[in-house]
Amino acid sequence: MSKSLREELESTFKNIQVSILEDSRMAVTAETHSVLAILRFLKDAGFDHLSLISAVDWIEDNVFELCFILTSYMQNDDEYTDRQKLHIILKTRIPREQPQVKTAIGLFPNAEPYEREIHELFGIDFEGHPRLTPLLLERDYEIPPFRKDFDTRKYVEEVFNSIPPIEIKNK
Amino acid sequence: MDRNQIAKWLEAPAKMANKYSLHAIYFCTGCGIIEVPPVITARWDAERFGVIPVATPRQANLFLITGYVSVKTLRPIIRTYEQMHEPKYTVGFGSCPVNGGMYWDSYNTIKHLDKYIPIDGWIAGCMPRPEAIFIAVTHLWTLIDKDMAEGYVRYRKSYRAYRRNQEMALGKLDWPPLYPVSDEPRGDEQ
Amino acid sequence: MVAKVAQIILSPILALVIGVFFLSLARKIMARFHWRYGPPLVQPVIDIIRLFYQKSVSHGQMFDLGLILSLAGSIVVVLFLPFGPICPLSGSGGLLVILYITLLAPLGMALSGGQGDNPNISIGISRKLILGLGYEVPLLLVLLAVMTRYKTISIMEVVSAQQRTGWSLTSLPLLLSGLSYLLILPAILGIRPFDVSSAPQEISSGPMVEYGGKYLALAKIEHAFALFINIALFVNLFLGGAANPLIFFVKMLVVFVLGLCINAVFPRFRIEQAIKYLWKWPALLAFLGLIVTLATRG
Repeated sequence: MSKSLREELESTFKNIQVSILEDSRMAVTAETHSVLAILRFLKDAGFDHLSLISAVDWIEDNVFELCFILTSYMQNDDEYTDRQKLHIILKTRIPREQPQVKTAIGLFPNAEPYEREIHELFGIDFEGHPRLTPLLLERDYEIPPFRKDFDTRKYVEEVFNSIPPIEIKNK
Repeated sequence: MDRNQIAKWLEAPAKMANKYSLHAIYFCTGCGIIEVPPVITARWDAERFGVIPVATPRQANLFLITGYVSVKTLRPIIRTYEQMHEPKYTVGFGSCPVNGGMYWDSYNTIKHLDKYIPIDGWIAGCMPRPEAIFIAVTHLWTLIDKDMAEGYVRYRKSYRAYRRNQEMALGKLDWPPLYPVSDEPRGDEQ
Repeated sequence: MVAKVAQIILSPILALVIGVFFLSLARKIMARFHWRYGPPLVQPVIDIIRLFYQKSVSHGQMFDLGLILSLAGSIVVVLFLPFGPICPLSGSGGLLVILYITLLAPLGMALSGGQGDNPNISIGISRKLILGLGYEVPLLLVLLAVMTRYKTISIMEVVSAQQRTGWSLTSLPLLLSGLSYLLILPAILGIRPFDVSSAPQEISSGPMVEYGGKYLALAKIEHAFALFINIALFVNLFLGGAANPLIFFVKMLVVFVLGLCINAVFPRFRIEQAIKYLWKWPALLAFLGLIVTLATRG
């Protein structure tokens, strides 16, 4: 099953790279403008469960890398074995200044909290997302905290260690 | 335990009663709460010491702050602590409330919990074993005997300083001050 | 006259001592069921002393007065229940008065909880009162059967009749009623599987969520009285109610330990499951017991 899917992907889209890591994992690297089309293609091919969207900060290459992980529920109950459960990791690189991607909510409505989290932790903007409000963090940071150029030790020194301890007056 | 020494009971009944009936509020603050269910169930029985978990801060007089405290968790911790009735005792459990522990350079956790609520004792470890909780309870008894577990008195006396620290860490607080905070400085605070 | 006053003062104190002993016995026996040691027997006393030394927060006057009403109701009911030969108000109405005054305990808690503005209190109190509705149906049928059989509403007369003719539980007309009363006894005592009104994990202790300090101490004392009252009523009506206070205490102990065994094994019913249970088999048994009693009245 994975072989024919690989051939279909390579024939339908250009500038795409498919590699089979193990028998049940496939990694697809694509360009940003074709990501939504590939997602729709995979969803029609039966991979209708978006497990995760995550992001990686490659500061040396000056890019962010977005990873979409798709799986399929059991296609056919009688013939389900372990080998038919396939994970597909779809990776794409976006430039680090002004990062902007179209949202995947139209295809997978459960992408909403993942994109919200990535927006507040990395600063990637998702166009078309209904609410990009903070999910986990409470305060504002000038650089989003998961970026590699955010200096955590300096931040801790400034914000937390500068609060004075309570002095205990002896009786 | 000197629970059955009638002379001590007649001498200082408040201290003896506060010692041997520490009801801990069952607020799972962080990851260290995984050590508390073994303590209160059959293997290491905490009820022998008089320690049982209760569901509401109004009935409790011991607050175990287990594990790391993120900025978001600090708000319910302060609100719960202020709802408890005096005399109340807090114990910082694990190395994260002490000095940040494993998350000492994190952008979102509180490093020294003593700046925000008063802590009577610390238990080091990541996570401490259940026997460490019992040692902490017996230490707390000695502190109560010697009148050294006076965290709540400190909170009342230096409330302006605590509230200022809380506002520096959390921004605007949406609960009113527990004790009246006036603008002119008083003599016994800094 | 002096003996009467002495009995009126002694009876609630004795009930309190026995109730607190039952509280400590409950914790100890439940701990032994769980294969652990458990607190010492004086632990509830230590808890109550500590609670009196703790500061508390009041939500208003009704908050205080409701709890005092509840405690006063329980103390008054104790005066009507014979404990062996001690019964201060024995000639004054017996069973009917007890039925009315036992309403004061949950009512007092409901009044005080109405002013503590916490939704958990409302949920807990509504469940408590619905549970009361549930067990009142079979309880009334059982009490009617007892009153019909012995042709009296005075509990002292029921006790002396049993000492002539044997326990009610083993006499044929009242066997079904006695079984039904045994089946609803956990609901009246408020132990598992019927402790839905004060569930710590679900509704943060229900009506007692805002009690701290002296209010919680009074609530625990009221709980001790409630244990004593309900078990003593059952022992008086169905197990003979002895002439000797010591044998009476032993009978109460047996019933209480039986209740604890049930408490240790069962999880908690939801409130609709509890009502379904209480209105099915116990009510049916009580109804049949009433019919059998009416038929054999002769």
